[in-house]
Amino acid sequence: MIKVKDRVLKGMVYISLGVTIFLFALIFIYLIIKSIPAINNIGLGGLINLKEKWYPIGATPTFNLLPAICGTLYTSFLATIFAFIFGLSAALMLNFYLPEKFANIIFSFLDMLAGVPSVVFGFIGLSTLVPFLLKHFNLSTGQCILAASIVLGVMLLPFIISTCSESIKLVRDRYEGMSKNAGISKEYFIIHIVFTSIKRSILAGLVMALGRAIGETMAVMMVIGNSAIFPKLLGRGQTIPGITALEMGSIGINEIHLSALYVANLILLIILLILILVSQLLKGNDRI
Amino acid sequence: MKRKILAAVLSASMVLTMLVGCGKGSDTSNTSDKATNTRAENQILFSGSSTIAPIMQGMASSYFEKYKTWNKVDSKLPDKNIQIYVSSGGSGQGTAALIDGTTDFGMVARDVKPEEKKKIKDEKEYQIGIDALTIAVNPKNPIVNKMKNFTKQQIVDLFSGKYAKWSDLDASLPNKDVVVITRDLNGGAHEVFQQKIMGDAQVTSKCIQASTMSELVSDIINNEYAIGYASYGVANQNKGKVVPISVDGVSATEANITSGKYPIQRPLLLVVSGKLSDEESAFMKYVQGAEGQKTVSSLGFIPMGEADCCS
Repeated sequence: MIKVKDRVLKGMVYISLGVTIFLFALIFIYLIIKSIPAINNIGLGGLINLKEKWYPIGATPTFNLLPAICGTLYTSFLATIFAFIFGLSAALMLNFYLPEKFANIIFSFLDMLAGVPSVVFGFIGLSTLVPFLLKHFNLSTGQCILAASIVLGVMLLPFIISTCSESIKLVRDRYEGMSKNAGISKEYFIIHIVFTSIKRSILAGLVMALGRAIGETMAVMMVIGNSAIFPKLLGRGQTIPGITALEMGSIGINEIHLSALYVANLILLIILLILILVSQLLKGNDRI
Repeated sequence: MKRKILAAVLSASMVLTMLVGCGKGSDTSNTSDKATNTRAENQILFSGSSTIAPIMQGMASSYFEKYKTWNKVDSKLPDKNIQIYVSSGGSGQGTAALIDGTTDFGMVARDVKPEEKKKIKDEKEYQIGIDALTIAVNPKNPIVNKMKNFTKQQIVDLFSGKYAKWSDLDASLPNKDVVVITRDLNGGAHEVFQQKIMGDAQVTSKCIQASTMSELVSDIINNEYAIGYASYGVANQNKGKVVPISVDGVSATEANITSGKYPIQRPLLLVVSGKLSDEESAFMKYVQGAEGQKTVSSLGFIPMGEADCCS
């Protein structure tokens, strides 16, 4: 009796897994098929080069994706660095220096922060951060890569803090008793034991965070300016999800332009796959 | 034991929902079926321009509040709830959805292109209003007191980046970057601007592309040295916070726009394929009647005036 139930359960789990993998494969293949017209018509040289612009309208449209790819990577890297600096410090503070009750309250607030819709972050960025940068940095516009990175960094914070906390908790469970017995100070424990043992898992967490940052659309689109130029820290830029959301709706059917957007997202998906792979490799080698 | 049963039930329901989801997917691929279905269910679907969507949304909800069921509109119509759905995603999506048969009305805030006309069977257009784009600047920009008018060439030079600084336009203006703000470059609004003003000139790639009209206007409000094309409606809602500038001596007033003198304007169209159903023509009567047109003007667009429709 039990055996039959087990089998049914097992079968269902396998079916679910199969459907999930099938869906992913379907998305990937669909992106490739939809990309083919652009690759055939424009060529990879036209899609990625240093000279042309992304200018999809007019008599001679050009479809250079490189500025947007650079913009996406630039903002995401910077945001991950911001989030890492503040996130790791916050995780240490919460785990080692605050009373547990108080820390738990803050953890639940962080969970709430993770659930705030991204458009809210974008709107707050647009109405506070953008005018602030405009006023105090003597810029021509407040919309810039820096603004986007800060907004994105705040959005990544809950994620980074929870990954860091998880690893820290593992190390504490294992070594804190011993180190207390040995009379080691808290700071020595953090620097010499916690840091060395969580290095890899934190790095894996960062790569995952980077993956999240790359796909973020709405909040970034609202504060980055969406100019199809190569990104500079205090200048405007554009991201791949941004272009897609901005332009997808107004394209007619069967246009090369639409296909070029599919190429952009295929590239995005490939970058994401590489990041996930790297993250898994890093995680696999961790020793706590 | 109980837990296992629970888990089994849960995963079974998961698999089932997936299957149901897939089933629906294959349904929609048969578009002609769906089109007749929506007619049978007395629903009307609108899809397309994000400029027109709020107008139709407003009309749809006041229409529902007034009548609730179709037979109260006209006793010949069935005793069914009025269901009008509006989804926005751009003018291009409007015509694409109409060609695919996934919508009853395409909302298009520009002229319908000849190649689109060819693909839509029995294409018919109903104009519900006019929108104009005003060239708007921030009231703190000293240009407000200097120039009340741009020539077309000056606008082209400002938007193309030829005048990178305001002082390039007039030496007495501050030596600050001209911040060009546009809507997304392949959207309906920009298409009109490109066609009516820019011609073959390209907009500078440094321009900020706003994803909505209200974002564009708030960008101008927040930036002293910004210039952009604000929709007539949205600019009117923000009177005093943005300053409209005349084009070739013609200011963007209602009279100038209706007479066609003001150049940067676009029609607000509802496009259909084939004949209207009874429900659809009843609703169109309302849209083009006094109450519907009041909604158009209350949102800041220019109404067409009452017209005989759907005969």
